[in-house]
Amino acid sequence: MASPVPLSRRLRRYGTSYAMLLPFLALFAGFLIWPLANSLYLSFTTFDGINPAAFTGLDNFRLLAEDTRFHHALSNTGLYVVASVVLGTLLSLGLALAFSGTGWPHRIMRTVFFLPSVTSSIALMLMWKWVFFPSDVGLGNTIVSWFGGQAVAWLATPGLAIPILVLMSVWGGMGYGMVLYVAGLGAIPHEYYEAARIDGASTWRQFRHITLPLLRPVTTYVVVTGLIGAFQVFEAVYIVFQTGANNVGGVLDSGLMIVPYLYDQGFTHFRLGYASAIAWVLFLVIFVLSLVNLRVGRAMKEL
Amino acid sequence: MRRTMAACSTILLAVLSAACATSGQTQTEQAAQNAPATLSFWSTGGDDETATFQKAADLYHQKHPNVTIKVQTLAWSDAYAKLLAAATSRSGPDIISGGMTWTIQFGARGAMVDLRKHGGDALKAQALPAQWESAVSPDGSVFGVPLDMSTMTLYYRTDLLEKADVEPPRTWEELPEAIDRLKAAGVKKPYSQDWGNLDWIGYFNYLYQAGGSFYTSDCKPSLDTPQAERALKYWVDLYREHGAPTATVEGSDALDTGTAMVVAGNWIAKGIDLNKPKLKGKWAMATLPAGPAGPTTFIGGRAIGVTSFSKHIRTAADFVTFLYSDEAIAAISDEAKKRNISYIPPRPDKIVDGSVFTPEQAQVFESAIRTGKAAPGCPGWDESASDVAKQLQSVILGKADVRTALAEAAEVMERNAR
Repeated sequence: MASPVPLSRRLRRYGTSYAMLLPFLALFAGFLIWPLANSLYLSFTTFDGINPAAFTGLDNFRLLAEDTRFHHALSNTGLYVVASVVLGTLLSLGLALAFSGTGWPHRIMRTVFFLPSVTSSIALMLMWKWVFFPSDVGLGNTIVSWFGGQAVAWLATPGLAIPILVLMSVWGGMGYGMVLYVAGLGAIPHEYYEAARIDGASTWRQFRHITLPLLRPVTTYVVVTGLIGAFQVFEAVYIVFQTGANNVGGVLDSGLMIVPYLYDQGFTHFRLGYASAIAWVLFLVIFVLSLVNLRVGRAMKEL
Repeated sequence: MRRTMAACSTILLAVLSAACATSGQTQTEQAAQNAPATLSFWSTGGDDETATFQKAADLYHQKHPNVTIKVQTLAWSDAYAKLLAAATSRSGPDIISGGMTWTIQFGARGAMVDLRKHGGDALKAQALPAQWESAVSPDGSVFGVPLDMSTMTLYYRTDLLEKADVEPPRTWEELPEAIDRLKAAGVKKPYSQDWGNLDWIGYFNYLYQAGGSFYTSDCKPSLDTPQAERALKYWVDLYREHGAPTATVEGSDALDTGTAMVVAGNWIAKGIDLNKPKLKGKWAMATLPAGPAGPTTFIGGRAIGVTSFSKHIRTAADFVTFLYSDEAIAAISDEAKKRNISYIPPRPDKIVDGSVFTPEQAQVFESAIRTGKAAPGCPGWDESASDVAKQLQSVILGKADVRTALAEAAEVMERNAR
């Protein structure tokens, strides 16, 4: 067993490197670790943003367990996450398979589909708001009127809220997933396909037994980042569905999600302690789901 | 990824503003009385409105050369969060304006000055009693006073009503009749609501017009009354029987796209001719149809107050009082006229006199305001408002009956009042 390197020697050797890391570490600790620790503490208090926080133990979490609006936000978010991640991943893969070539037509199509990912999300949401504008002026209703239909109250029909949110999410995110999948497809050696073809494997079998398994790391990444992003959906609800100061989740809370609810509680109802508790519940949900996802990915690899 | 980043930043913002709070409150040291002072006034609204209040600030500067007041715009969308961040860090503006209940909420948490200590309650005599009541805290503190008023009226297309040979409806009975006749005359969109659509503000008018109220005078929830039921049934019928749309179209857009009558806020009045030139000469205004208990219209507006962390509390309070003077209101109105802003001063005697509107329009606003009522100022109302709105929505969308929804709304109000 080697004797430990003395601190002085270690400092001499790595001191400059540590010193160069310090600014980042200071910012990381000051703007991430410390606020995180604080929010954990605040989740056990009745902090209102102005007065000193009063410690109330697990009261916020108990209230959350009984809060029907939170349950509603949680179930809405669950439905939204499943639909947007599944559809988003499938469409990303579909687009990548369709436009993975190196020719100009493919490059142009990839650029077109990737464009929403480089556009400001606020601008995108304002655009969607126009699409679903309730009068004949809105693009959605203009198209409906071409086919002789009656104007649809897109944002005031509770049953349409989640499908609209999923549509916006999938449309905005599939280009990003497509780029990742295109990179993944490019990394699969051609020899595998040649060998498979020689053995008489059909295109479907090649896809099923070569492409899909070798894309698994990309799929895990796309699904995990998709999950995290979907759980934290905010602008779509806040910009498109908020119809008044008291109506953060749209009609009958049909579009209420966890983060907009957190924002509503923290910033319009002065319940920052309660909002912190919601943030930690959200963190736990995402953490557990990501772990499950990674574990499933690993288990499948071992099969 | 960007979505993730944006959501993370939201959470971080929540966490940070929480973390940056001071551990206790101390009395802010006050600046010397006659020393030169620069005050900051965060005005919630648009840049044009900021410019109108800046005129009053400039006038104040002429009278008090030592005092400069800089008015800054806070957009409605993020004003509340910015004011909360300022109150949390106990730094920022000396004067703030925003929604009618904001100063009450910030005041309850120690971030606002009780203007009674600086003669602010003297303004009560000049203000509209109903609006004044809604600015006063349940314990009587005056953390904010009305800065302006907003109300709603029935805007209508004169050409479409003429075509159907219909007069603007004046009563609950006349409204559905007018809708039916407009429909019979081929008008596809006879009636819609902009401000208050599917929200408690929309129900507010009918509730008071039927003789009901959200709370009794001693702040007991009073939605389980025959009047409240009658009002909700009438309102719901407008949607379900008479085809009022659940989707909200902005008032001037609604008129422009062929809606014959629309209930909308005063703020669209000045912009219709300018933004929709096609409508020039084809629209007019009337007060909302009166109910069995008479005409009542919702009155909102903005409140203005002084922050407790200001170093110039007395000067700031003096400026707030100055805003009620004839000359300040005239300065704001003149600038509002130039900028086409539908400004209604907080003094009822100034609504017609020197108004930014045409005399006919000003008369309509004046009569709406004369019989107006403001949002309930009872404890727990702010926490209950969104739940009450959901209950009302559930009846409109056919998911609950009138009585059950009102009983549930009253229960939420009861619970939050404790």
